Amino acid sequence: MGTCDANLKPEGTRAVGAVVAPDRARITVFLNEANSERTLANLAVNPRAAICFTRPIDHRTVQVKGRVLTVRRTLDSEKPRLDRYLSAFVEALYLVGVTRATGGRIAYWPSMAVEITVEDLFHATPGPGAGGRLS
Amino acid sequence: MSGPLDGIPMRCFQGVVPSTIATADCKGIPNITYLSHVFRIDDRHVALSCQFFNKTKANVLANPYASVDLMDPATLEMYRLELRFDHSETSGPLFDTMSMRIDAIASLTGMSGIFRLISSDVYEVIAASYRNGVIDHTLVLPETPVEPRSISEIRAVQLISQRTSRAKGLEDLMNAVLATLQEAFGFEHSMMLMLDETQTKLYTVATRGYDSEGIGAEVAVGEGLVGSVARDKRVLRMSYVEAELRYGRAIRAAVQKTRSRRDMLPEIPLSGLADAQSHMAMPLVVGDRVLGVLAVESRSPLAFDEWDEAFLEIVANQVAVTLDNMLLREHEADFEVAQTSNAGTPAKGAAPSLPVKRFRFFKNDDCIFVDDEYLIRNVPARILWRVLREHQQNGRTAFTNRELRLDPWLGLPPLRDNLESRLVLLRKRLADKCPGVRLLSTDRGRFNLEVECPFALEERESA
Repeated sequence: MGTCDANLKPEGTRAVGAVVAPDRARITVFLNEANSERTLANLAVNPRAAICFTRPIDHRTVQVKGRVLTVRRTLDSEKPRLDRYLSAFVEALYLVGVTRATGGRIAYWPSMAVEITVEDLFHATPGPGAGGRLS
Repeated sequence: MSGPLDGIPMRCFQGVVPSTIATADCKGIPNITYLSHVFRIDDRHVALSCQFFNKTKANVLANPYASVDLMDPATLEMYRLELRFDHSETSGPLFDTMSMRIDAIASLTGMSGIFRLISSDVYEVIAASYRNGVIDHTLVLPETPVEPRSISEIRAVQLISQRTSRAKGLEDLMNAVLATLQEAFGFEHSMMLMLDETQTKLYTVATRGYDSEGIGAEVAVGEGLVGSVARDKRVLRMSYVEAELRYGRAIRAAVQKTRSRRDMLPEIPLSGLADAQSHMAMPLVVGDRVLGVLAVESRSPLAFDEWDEAFLEIVANQVAVTLDNMLLREHEADFEVAQTSNAGTPAKGAAPSLPVKRFRFFKNDDCIFVDDEYLIRNVPARILWRVLREHQQNGRTAFTNRELRLDPWLGLPPLRDNLESRLVLLRKRLADKCPGVRLLSTDRGRFNLEVECPFALEERESA
């Protein structure tokens, strides 16, 4: 997730999960609390966020741009969902050569949930079409 | 003097796990995307490759700040680089180095000229730091045993130096180099290629550690990893090759949606190990002349480090000089050798009871088949054909390099003609495909034809 402070200094942090709302107009992105302090500080002064999703095996990538609606602590009841997300991510990394033991060390709990309203979607797969709007 | 990048493992810069780059425009709208490769220039500067003009580039031109997260491929630990865009380079050593890597991948994925470097974007590193909290350190990784170097580094250089300077001939030199690379450094899979007289192709003259020797296999200059090294006269070291190819294929898939497939060539299979994960190739250069390429590969994704690169460069320089001297000496010595008469007694005669070997020379393709199997092409094919024809017509068995050099049909250039490496290649191909016919060195600049089986020669225009 990319954010930017009031002085236009950007910052990125790796998200550890995401859930698309049933209305498909909002996404909740989960951040590892231990390394998202600056991202959350940025969002407090500038609600704009960019989130990049990629599939490691073929680099299929999309970027979502939007504004933050809410920031809250992730509920214990949401943890199983994050567990599944991370397990799937570890398998995706395994396919590109990262061992499961290594992938399994990605820290993700406790976590913060950042709800974003989606304003724009872009192709971000490497290549000449990257940056184009997704219809 | 140390800079902010000191202390970040070099493997983080090898592009295994893509890095992310966050930028922002002048309105404070952030952008975040993945990078294929962060190139470390020195301890205060990095360069990012720009293959397509994109939002990241537009943002840093308007607002120069960027934040990059580098991931250690071995541990997934993360490092944060705070950057300020400085300038773009579209030519010069940095651009050439970065471009070569991209060209090699483009060539392998059939996208030469489509997927290419537009600029090397240089950033100043304002700060670099380890990112706490990314990894759960309570989960300990099993230790990967590090194999010790088998002999000390100075001893390895000594061995190479000793063996190359004492090599009796080209074949001896090549075998000594590849054997020492394995013995001293455990480089189990290696090959040496020479540039041919047209300067457009490399042909394999020596290999080590492969199921199939692959002697005679050709690579076009500029094509693939080895061909790029010969064209650019630069070292190429690649780790996690599969990851690089995957990135190239992602772009290929994206290009296919926007351009005609006819613009793209088919993918070229990597030579050597089908599942190699690391490659390192060095040009054999003397002055501004490329003689060939020395290449090593491994199934381990991080087999070669900067030290190996530096070491192999020393080896390659030494081999190149020795090789060049050897070729030149051999060429000069040739002219001291008198034309050998036809009266030489056959060292060994053909045994009539053995089946007849049928050699066919296809003029249009400039190649020889033996018993319907491809044997060899171009200059070595013409050498063999000349020698076999002479033997058939006049019973000759003794030949000199000089007469080959003076024969215009063979098309050897006047100086540094690679004749000796052509003979090495021819000998190896014969040993593999037709061991009953041999070319044996008898003295400097001389060789004998030994034929153990009866043979028939047939010339055709085309197959």
